[in-house]
Amino acid sequence: MIALVPCGLAVFWLVLERLCDETRDFDFVRGRMVAWLFVSAVVSAIAVLISDGPAPLGSIGEYTLIALAPGFLGAVPGVIALVGLLAIALSESITHHVSTLRRILWLLAIAMLFVASDVAGVMAVLWALSIVVVWAELGDRRLFGTRRLLILYQGASVVLFAAAIGCAMLEQVVLGAVLGLAAIGLREAVFPGHSWFLRFVETAPLGLVVAFVGPQLGVYAHVALLSHSLPDSLAATVGSFGALTAALAAWLGLAQSSMRRSLAYLMISQTGLVSFGLQASSEVAFAGSLVVWQVLALATSGFAMTVSALEARRGARSLDEFSGCFSRTPRMAAGFLMTGLASVGFPMTLGFVAEDLLFQGSVEGAPVLAFVLIVATGLNGMNVMHCFFRLFSGRRLHSGELDLTSRESRALSIVLLILLLAGLAPGLMTSLEFGEGGTVQRHAGGLFPSFSNPVYSLGVAATPEQANGPGRVPGHP
Amino acid sequence: MMNASSGWAALLLMSLWAVPAVVVVMLGAARWMRGRRASERTIARVASGAFGFATLASGLLTLSLFTNGVQAYVADLGAWFTVGHYTFPWVLVGDALSLPFAFFSSGLVWVIARFSRRYLHREDGFHRFYLMLSFFGVGVLLVVLAGTLDLIFFGWEIVGLTSALLIAFFHERRGPVEHGLRAFMTYRFCDVGLLSAALWLHLELGSSTLVPGEGSAPWSVLPTPESAAGGLVLGLLLLWAAIGKAAQFPLGGWLPRAMEGPTPSSAIFYGAISIHLGPYLLLRAPEALAASPWASGSVIAIGALTALYGTFVGRVQTDIKSALAYASMTQAGLILVEIGFGWSVLALVHIVGHAALRSLQILRSPSLLHDHHHLEQAMGETLPRTGVHFERWVPARLQPGLYRAALERGHLDDLLMEGVVAPLLRAARALDALELRWENWLAGETGAKEAPGTSAVGEGIR
Repeated sequence: MIALVPCGLAVFWLVLERLCDETRDFDFVRGRMVAWLFVSAVVSAIAVLISDGPAPLGSIGEYTLIALAPGFLGAVPGVIALVGLLAIALSESITHHVSTLRRILWLLAIAMLFVASDVAGVMAVLWALSIVVVWAELGDRRLFGTRRLLILYQGASVVLFAAAIGCAMLEQVVLGAVLGLAAIGLREAVFPGHSWFLRFVETAPLGLVVAFVGPQLGVYAHVALLSHSLPDSLAATVGSFGALTAALAAWLGLAQSSMRRSLAYLMISQTGLVSFGLQASSEVAFAGSLVVWQVLALATSGFAMTVSALEARRGARSLDEFSGCFSRTPRMAAGFLMTGLASVGFPMTLGFVAEDLLFQGSVEGAPVLAFVLIVATGLNGMNVMHCFFRLFSGRRLHSGELDLTSRESRALSIVLLILLLAGLAPGLMTSLEFGEGGTVQRHAGGLFPSFSNPVYSLGVAATPEQANGPGRVPGHP
Repeated sequence: MMNASSGWAALLLMSLWAVPAVVVVMLGAARWMRGRRASERTIARVASGAFGFATLASGLLTLSLFTNGVQAYVADLGAWFTVGHYTFPWVLVGDALSLPFAFFSSGLVWVIARFSRRYLHREDGFHRFYLMLSFFGVGVLLVVLAGTLDLIFFGWEIVGLTSALLIAFFHERRGPVEHGLRAFMTYRFCDVGLLSAALWLHLELGSSTLVPGEGSAPWSVLPTPESAAGGLVLGLLLLWAAIGKAAQFPLGGWLPRAMEGPTPSSAIFYGAISIHLGPYLLLRAPEALAASPWASGSVIAIGALTALYGTFVGRVQTDIKSALAYASMTQAGLILVEIGFGWSVLALVHIVGHAALRSLQILRSPSLLHDHHHLEQAMGETLPRTGVHFERWVPARLQPGLYRAALERGHLDDLLMEGVVAPLLRAARALDALELRWENWLAGETGAKEAPGTSAVGEGIR
């Protein structure tokens, strides 16, 4: 299956990226990119509304061409465009160069191509390519350690992903699935494969971090290729790693004195929630994890980019002291708080819906782990509030910093509006993404045959017969 | 569910929550857009108008409920969202518990909105105060009118957030901010209990929707698992949730600190409404408490301990707001004792009476000396001393020690901070230091970077 809308948007971005060479002014480049990303988000939204789902438009060899993946996955290109909008609009010239903006656009285009297909080989190549782009950005001598960690962990993830594909070709189902999940665990920074991520968030430009992490390619790979690929008992063990990640990272996040490190733990905790839900046998928990994925992409990215905007004005922030003046930067403070609260599941935001689904879905199969998830969410909420008070209050003096610019405000407003509207009318969102009856459609048998009996969809090729058949790998339809 | 209602009653029930919610959206949008600033008069009028309407609507419904002999009015808005077999229903219930509560809650928000227009005149955060006050009111109305425990949790979180933000209203000073953070952390810790209770009900019964009381209480109640163990778990989880909002022993240390917020919000939050949401929650679960003597016994024990602690510490406070905070804590503890014994109606009456008196006292607290002068002038003598009976009952040689212990608030906060929070944070820091060492080793930077410094959280919530 190849979806044309995300492919078209990716090509659009890559063509336009060539127009933004290093001689251009930073503000000019940023302004153009923001406009393109906004247009792309609008196009994606229109495509979701008018798309005829999985109706085939033609084929190239063995691959069927469709406009947009149906159901939940159809919304992913729009989410990536919005992540890009945030990453570019809130990147400041003090902390980002024109070359960084171009690499951000590259990362976004790669992510868009990644979610345009379920062809494992193509995904592996794009997976590796995204790491190369980040590696190129970390060329500064001071970032040598970060680069080394990235290569160690992400290099291993590429090797494991390739090995998983190899196992699928040899019909080594369980081993292949375990290797694939290990690769995803490294990519998504699930314990114990998280160490690269802390250093990466602490030192890399946050726009780049958001563009690399926000689209959550590992989650897409899981949904498209590995869903239900493990026996239930093994899936539960893997899922418990996700719950452990969520709780441990939330706890460690509270003890940080560096804002960036605290942010890194918050993001790891969120990915832990997603990882848990993806392995859950309940369709409600699975749906919850997909919505948490969206929340992580939008709200947590917004939260991170607000930190980036703040750092550009005030320098690196410590949480050891109260350092802010709310009245100087009210909109930045409000944006920081609202995106932070949305990311930890506060009512009236999409985060609440996501976590409600995740908890309700998991309580039946794993009540103890559901409790662990609740504790993790509680701790994350404390972390967000702690950061907010430390960064935006407790002082009368200020350094004369300015509030968000109108461009930054507009980008943040769009994302906040989506989070709030989806949080206030989640029925519309769930019926759009999961169908009228709220039936969660899983794609199983992408790479391996299914071990249980989900409902199949994602692409035109999915039928129960195919899903229970042998795994599909590149060249082996 | 109870007898569903149609027509005007359901519409009124919905609108008494929806109108203030729309006002919150309007105030929030106006603040975010930062266009032409709305005048103080407009902001105050919009907010007080919304809650005036809510007061009127809830008053009418209350009157209708008791005169028509209806058990409950129900506004069932259907599924808020559905995924697979799971549905989140949006149901509002107006019964003998929720409607009087909604009436006096919205009435108090209305009064405070009127009062604050002059009290906060030309204050920098005037708009922010009204936004938070209205948001709080919406949260309270949702908690009170919710027809499911999931929906109660929805409103419960809103109340917690607005409470913390209003405690930290004077954000340029460190004290209020630290205290707001402490309150939020206590709330958040106890919210785990409430959310777990909702999940427990879904696990045991498949639903957390209120059911008719059937003799245990003259209002709708939470469904209760049939087994005693199920009732015990539910009761204890709800008690855990209630301890945070009602500032009960041993987590009530945030309450006197919360008085750093503006006086009007202190009055409505900690004298009247917020502090009574814990008892309100337990009033919704009389069957769970009745089913398990351990659960009801725990409620009585916590309430009694809090009442003793509150009166013991409150009597030595030297500022009026702290004294009133401990007085509120004491009364909330007594209300819990009543609930534990199953005296639900008495507890409801106690809540309303205490809320009215305490909010008035807190509102008048800035004028305390002035009021005392008036009283003494009217009486023609100085005011009599209170609490003399304690001096008679307690042996003289114990009095200095007890006095010091009370001044130190029983060392309870130190015990919690040093005995529980600090070790947890130290352990997290130690683990993070190991993590950092591992990172440095992998990055080829052994010893290049120091472990993160001491946590700010521990200091922030002191």
